[in-house]
Amino acid sequence: MTMLRLYLLLFRASVRSRMQYKLNFLLSSGLAAFINLMEFLLIAIILQRFGDIKGWSLYEIGYLYSVLLLSRAIYRILASDVHHIEKYLVGGELDQLLTRPIPVLLALMTQNVTILLGEVIQGTVLLVLCFQGLLAAGQIGWLAIPQTALVILAGSVILFAIGLLSATAGFWLTRVRDLQNITEDAARNAAQYPLVLYPGWLRMILLTLVPVGFANYVPALYILRGEYGPWLLLVSTAAAVLLLWVSFRFWRLGLSRYQSAGS
Amino acid sequence: MIEVKHISKRFRTPLVPEGRFAGVRALFSRKYKEKVAVDDISFCIGQGEFVGYIGPNGAGKSTTIKMLTGILHPSTGEVAIGGRSPHRDRRHVVRGLGVVFGQRTQLWWDLPTRDSYDILAAMYKLRERDKARKLAEMNDLLGLGEFMDTPVRKLSLGQRMRADLAAALLHDPAILFLDEPTIGLDVIAKKNIRGFLKTINRELGKTILLTTHDMDDIEELCQRVMVINHGRLAYDGSIPDLRSRIGLPTVIRVSFREPLPERLETDGAPFSIAGRNGLELTLQCNRQDIPAMDVLRHVSQWGEIADVHMEEPAFEEIIHKVY
Repeated sequence: MTMLRLYLLLFRASVRSRMQYKLNFLLSSGLAAFINLMEFLLIAIILQRFGDIKGWSLYEIGYLYSVLLLSRAIYRILASDVHHIEKYLVGGELDQLLTRPIPVLLALMTQNVTILLGEVIQGTVLLVLCFQGLLAAGQIGWLAIPQTALVILAGSVILFAIGLLSATAGFWLTRVRDLQNITEDAARNAAQYPLVLYPGWLRMILLTLVPVGFANYVPALYILRGEYGPWLLLVSTAAAVLLLWVSFRFWRLGLSRYQSAGS
Repeated sequence: MIEVKHISKRFRTPLVPEGRFAGVRALFSRKYKEKVAVDDISFCIGQGEFVGYIGPNGAGKSTTIKMLTGILHPSTGEVAIGGRSPHRDRRHVVRGLGVVFGQRTQLWWDLPTRDSYDILAAMYKLRERDKARKLAEMNDLLGLGEFMDTPVRKLSLGQRMRADLAAALLHDPAILFLDEPTIGLDVIAKKNIRGFLKTINRELGKTILLTTHDMDDIEELCQRVMVINHGRLAYDGSIPDLRSRIGLPTVIRVSFREPLPERLETDGAPFSIAGRNGLELTLQCNRQDIPAMDVLRHVSQWGEIADVHMEEPAFEEIIHKVY
């Protein structure tokens, strides 16, 4: 409980620091939203021409896309600088976080908090549109709404754990941008679309090595299409909890390997 | 208070391959370069001591401090602060430490100075009453009032250092680690900081370990000095002892108006001729043994002096040479 209070305090301080540069904040939020919107519009236009991809309709793809977008937004808002650990390792900035009587991860998560307003609004709007379409078609019921909320939360935990694992690799590698490009950016881009699109080996990777598929595709199989059974939701949540535990253990190990930087 | 037993720190950095995907390939690289930054250092610091920790750049000063504060884990050896290990028990140990890195601030850069104290107070779980009392005390000693509501990024270097010191002492730690706290400050600011450090050591009984490149800091503040070079502890004792051990020669360059005689006799006076170049003589003396004026009086017998130039001993340079 005290940890949560401390987290909120540091989070607020970070947001207040950000607000010192209001114009920059508004501009970067706006631009990010614009880029995301363009990206999806492009896909939407292509889909309108072809109807569906491998049996997945526009609404279903929109659902996969927006669920992952929201999960990612939650992860990146609540744990901002986990993704930017490289600058702490290269510049030795982690030193300052280590001299405080709080968990280093908690301090890192609350540095340079960015409110990804664009992503949140866009993801929510898209999700609502897809819900309307799917409800109107009678494909899903109202129960899908709380189920989706759970999936988004579990997804953000999965993305956070993958992010933390990649960041921790930095204690050995120092430079982790390339690794993050693969495990975070490329994997997430791939999982925005139904995994059936991909060859078997790639699907395997996205369900095992970088298990981002559990964040949206696996639960969507049940929620949208009634395949397998409700236990898919449980699998997804269990994957999130397991990954989180593994990533925390790995982080601990990594931290003991921290080398700092020259004075 | 602080016990250090045979600590060493070896850094193993992977040799990063060049070219595309270097970061990913480094994952699988098995080539390493090893560097010993600290080599088998032991010492004890008792309560209330003010210890100077000096040595040339790259000698291992910062690495030692980082091991004492739990930032780095020693490769071998043990550190105990108040009986506990700062790397196994980091959060507990750092609660009783104040740390100031002169090169970096611990404060929240974009927020008013006051906010940093509020956040730190919450981090260290201080009661409102204790925080207010401590801040008032710090304000008396450091004069924080003038910039309490200014964002940290707008403070001058001197103000920032005062603010940082107050932040390090807010939770009333028994031990203070200061890594170059006077770096880049002007003479007056340095004097203020030294006065402050003297007060908190003598009157509040804080144990202080200070690294610095400024010998005046050491001379004015420390009862004890430790010298590190090439990762090894080269000296641990009092300043007068260190001075007598390495001599600390003052260099005096004297130019004469007319050519000097062939043979120059010092007649047993405690100075030596280090070099001779035409009309210019380079002399070395220890000012503990002989005042500079006496040296000049002596050499003026050899000819009329045109100009005198004196260099105070660069302590660190000598330490570097001696060890």
